[in-house]
Amino acid sequence: MTAHTIFENGLLALVVLTCWLGAIGMWRMREPMQALHYLSLPATLGAFALAIAVVLADGANQAFWKMLLIAFILLATNSVVTHASARSFRARELGHWEPMDGDPFEFVRDTEKK
Amino acid sequence: MNPWLIAGMSVSATLVPCAAMCLRGSPERRLVGLEMTSMLVTIAMVMFAVGYGRTPFVDIPLALAILSFGGGLVYARFLGKHL
Repeated sequence: MTAHTIFENGLLALVVLTCWLGAIGMWRMREPMQALHYLSLPATLGAFALAIAVVLADGANQAFWKMLLIAFILLATNSVVTHASARSFRARELGHWEPMDGDPFEFVRDTEKK
Repeated sequence: MNPWLIAGMSVSATLVPCAAMCLRGSPERRLVGLEMTSMLVTIAMVMFAVGYGRTPFVDIPLALAILSFGGGLVYARFLGKHL
């Protein structure tokens, strides 16, 4: 077994690990807002480790570029979908998503920005 | 059986906790389970395509990654406004 194969298999193991950690972490969280955070594990580390494993297995061919595109799509869309989901959870719970007086965090009002 | 197919099967096994999320609990939890499922299926499909030596089939997870983005947004919007 060459160093190349060991590195490729190590990257595959890393992808499997991130997928399992993400899935189990998401499943174990009580609040949906907490569970949302675990989406980022396979979307970032997992997808890019898989792209590197593909280039090690087959070289920089069409499959690698497609996998790299998938990794960038997952990276970009995961943040948007996570934000949209969190916003909808808040809107569903409170009837609005905008920050209001009494919320347990600081925010800048539109009038203060001007 | 090669390491890619073993990894693909291992990632496919993560669909069990995802199914548990999608089939039980509040709609919010189900939506998170759906989003995770689409991501994990994308990764597993790439592994199977490489493992079986059918790399042109990587187009399918590419299409899934793009379409699941729209699907996730639609469900999130629907959940916030109507459900």
